[in-house]
Amino acid sequence: MKITDPRGRSLLAAEYVLGTMTGRTRARFELWLRSDPGLRKEVAAWQERLEPLSATAAELVPSDRVWRGIAARIAARSAPRESWLGSLAFWRGSSFVSAIAAALMFGYIALTPRDHALTPDNAMVVVMADDQSKPAMTVAWTMQEQAKPRLRIRVIGHQQMDPGTSWELWMLPGEDQPPKSLGLITTHDTQYVEVPPEIKAKLDKAAGLAMSVEPERGSPTGLPTGPVLYSGKCLEI
Amino acid sequence: MMDAADSLDDLMARCALRDQRAFAELYRRSSGRLLAVAMRIVRRRDWAEDVLQESFVNIWNHVTDYSRAKSAPMTWMTAIVRNRALDWARRPKHETADEDLDGLIENWEDSTPGPAQRLVAAGEAGQLDDCLRQLSGQQRQSIALAYMHGLSHSELADHLGEPLGTIKTWIRRGLEKLRGCLEAGNAA
Repeated sequence: MKITDPRGRSLLAAEYVLGTMTGRTRARFELWLRSDPGLRKEVAAWQERLEPLSATAAELVPSDRVWRGIAARIAARSAPRESWLGSLAFWRGSSFVSAIAAALMFGYIALTPRDHALTPDNAMVVVMADDQSKPAMTVAWTMQEQAKPRLRIRVIGHQQMDPGTSWELWMLPGEDQPPKSLGLITTHDTQYVEVPPEIKAKLDKAAGLAMSVEPERGSPTGLPTGPVLYSGKCLEI
Repeated sequence: MMDAADSLDDLMARCALRDQRAFAELYRRSSGRLLAVAMRIVRRRDWAEDVLQESFVNIWNHVTDYSRAKSAPMTWMTAIVRNRALDWARRPKHETADEDLDGLIENWEDSTPGPAQRLVAAGEAGQLDDCLRQLSGQQRQSIALAYMHGLSHSELADHLGEPLGTIKTWIRRGLEKLRGCLEAGNAA
């Protein structure tokens, strides 16, 4: 997919709104939408353009059961404050749990006593999975205050980065706050990223992490601009 | 009390504050039109009502994000309903019989100027209608069938009896032309 060409972007947004973008492409586009405010605007513009076509059908009166069902369901849930994060795949319980289980199985979040930086009782672990819930990397850090906090990153399997691109790691603070860059990472099996203490304090309370594909020197805008390859929810263990 | 003069915007803002009465009023005012949107895509009344129900639960859960979307309430809600309906229609077990689609296509055939007039009749299509008139009949027909009835590229190809590539080209060119026309109109 061409993501930089404005005409191409507009056309993709149009086909998404029209509904002719289907299946896996549609799912990928939706993932990509979450991290690209410009693309969301493009989609909103097309929704606005085509919406008059929705007004051309005669109105129908829904049966009473529809509202009864809605009322019962919204009363049962006490004011859930879901953010745009809410619909990322990792939020859905079962796939998240299976991602954790798989990562544990492969030993990617083994926090052994030998790893002095990370003791099992005060660590935060993020299993980052692709849009099929397949674990692709893990990020872990200790919750204690440190002079030079750092994150340990393990990349699962041998992964390729496209030439001329970079991988940028993002903190997703939650509560609808914008993602915050944690820097560029590599495809190496094990690596460490240092973070300033004030960012580390926020990380301890973050909702999750995401990794996006960016131009060679990282996102030029301070926000994710490319597709989000992997994302995961923070889990204190 | 709910005032009849409350705009949909006001109702959305109150829903964001978890006002369930405002939500009931929002439903009362918009559900008729949104059910019609779902019905055209899933083509079965009980399915359309399920889609409507799911969509309104979704609207309630996400209404706090609404202001960021910077679109009109009806546009925002329509997008939620269409998305849900498209997901629904594309699950294999929900596919409708081909005769249904053929019926739809027949109604749209000979598409100049029939469908365009239908749009005018609704009185709301305005500039979009003017711009749709500038497309070729094939472009207009493909775009309208896809948007209004949720037909995919391959469904359009099957039922219009044209190769997939041709359908894709009609849609792509039609969309580009439409955007150009609408943007020119806005600038004027």
